[in-house]
Amino acid sequence: MIDATSGAPPVEAEAVPPRAWAVWTWRLAALLIKLALGSVVALIIFGGLLVAAPELFDYLIAPAFQAWQTVLVAVVIQGLPFLLLGTVVSAAISAFVSDAALSRVLPKRVALAVPVAGMAGAVLPGCECASVPVAGSLMRRGVPPAAALAFLLSAPAINPVVLVATSIAFPGRPEMVGARFLASLATSVSMGWLWLRLGKPEWLRLNRSADAHRHGGHTRLDVFRRGLQHDFLHAGGFLVLGATAAATFNIVVPPTWLQTFTGSTWLAVPLLGTLAVILSICSEADAFVAASLAAFPATAKLAFMVVGPMVDLKLISLQTGTFGRAFAVRFCAATFLVAVLVASAVGAWLL
Amino acid sequence: MRTLNALNRHRTALLLLLSGAALLRITLASDLFQRYVKQSLRPELVAAGVLLVLLGILSAVRDQPGEAHDEEARGHAGPGRLAWLLAPPALLLLSFAPPSLGAFTVARDGSGQIARPVTFDPLPPTGTLRLRLSDFDARAVWDTHQSLKGRTVEVEGFVAPGRNGTWQISRIIVSCCAADARVVAVTVLGPTAPPANTWVTVTGTWNPADATPTIEAATLARIPSPADPYRDTAP
Repeated sequence: MIDATSGAPPVEAEAVPPRAWAVWTWRLAALLIKLALGSVVALIIFGGLLVAAPELFDYLIAPAFQAWQTVLVAVVIQGLPFLLLGTVVSAAISAFVSDAALSRVLPKRVALAVPVAGMAGAVLPGCECASVPVAGSLMRRGVPPAAALAFLLSAPAINPVVLVATSIAFPGRPEMVGARFLASLATSVSMGWLWLRLGKPEWLRLNRSADAHRHGGHTRLDVFRRGLQHDFLHAGGFLVLGATAAATFNIVVPPTWLQTFTGSTWLAVPLLGTLAVILSICSEADAFVAASLAAFPATAKLAFMVVGPMVDLKLISLQTGTFGRAFAVRFCAATFLVAVLVASAVGAWLL
Repeated sequence: MRTLNALNRHRTALLLLLSGAALLRITLASDLFQRYVKQSLRPELVAAGVLLVLLGILSAVRDQPGEAHDEEARGHAGPGRLAWLLAPPALLLLSFAPPSLGAFTVARDGSGQIARPVTFDPLPPTGTLRLRLSDFDARAVWDTHQSLKGRTVEVEGFVAPGRNGTWQISRIIVSCCAADARVVAVTVLGPTAPPANTWVTVTGTWNPADATPTIEAATLARIPSPADPYRDTAP
């Protein structure tokens, strides 16, 4: 394949298959449509605010907008180093690790590989931003998706850093740490097995351009660097998208509506699960926020800490970028349900 | 259109340099990163910034301009135009970095919930008690021995509006980044409120009659805002 350069003569332009241009135009159109839709949604939210409280508008707009920017930028800054670390590991796996080496580490039977991968998440500390690209590259390298998914979910949830943070946030309550570990591990392994039973490979749309084979004639280090650049920029865009959604909810949803649900455990558990999705707090910090929700039952706080590292707006966005939308929608919805159920069961038993 | 096309051809190098420069500006060239994330994240941010700048330079030197662009045109997946979303936050940080969270966040916070500590350490028997706001709150609400009663207390924080025309001295505590901000606040009785977001030291006594933590202020002094705004410290 010849690399086309900026000064390509018109003769070569004809050689480009029309289908590629159709795809290109379609993508651009799709992007424009999404931009337009996004603007409409933003306008409706803004309009609603203006209609609901016109007299507050002048007072609200400036500090609210600034707080929104601060939260957005904060989520991005917090995520970037870990996303970069994840893409470095992912690019290294793509460029340097052979398929055979990985399959030697995991048990041959996939049903057994799932819990092994889930436990591996406890040993390899990773933030949720880092584990998405790593899980993607594991799949590209032939690790069964079920096992890679169990790792994806467990790595940010049960690593030592998170467990220590949880014990600090809940002083004198070691059962919180135990319950979090058990419920998170059980959820990740269940999701791996669930994928084994119900998952369809066509839902997964792995981005393959970072693969070593594509760039024939380059050094390994170049392959590594290009994979890294590509994965980082690709995931970075989705990180900003997720951060924008999280910051918007953070500013638009008034914290006072939480007060209504503190009484009933049945309502409080799914409510705090949903709150974890919306707030997109990193797993190192979510225990402190959970502890500050003092009026809620312990099981609801557990649900908050089990759901948060596995499903949140930032993660949904990152997973859409890495695995495709068909996968992200189904997987995140199923993970949320399983996480809430498991947290309720473990909470009823231990807390 | 021509400019946009040119921008797109250099997208990889441009975005890597921009993101790297933004991270280095808020960590090495200033302390601005403390408005957004916890202090201990600085080494990771610096490392990421240096790596991104290096990658950007390498990409500008070694890759053909427009390579990713052309791959997309051929139907292969490049980093995607969504990668451009990295530009606005980076530009924001390189220009006027948004301020740290303050009175607005306090005013929105309706929780008023104070975590119950396991034990209370004994206080020094005499003299002014210099307390963190969260300690004052916890003792005011949960301490059955009322260890604050009758003591002169000094607390530090920024000014935020309270309910029913009162005002509060407040702190925002962040464990990881500004998205996990928690609010602690003490209602101040006595002097009129300084402008919102002014940092002050208040000396006074605890008012046990109020259900929410309240201090009867005797003195009020303005102080410069601290470098790390999100850590609750004693005066």
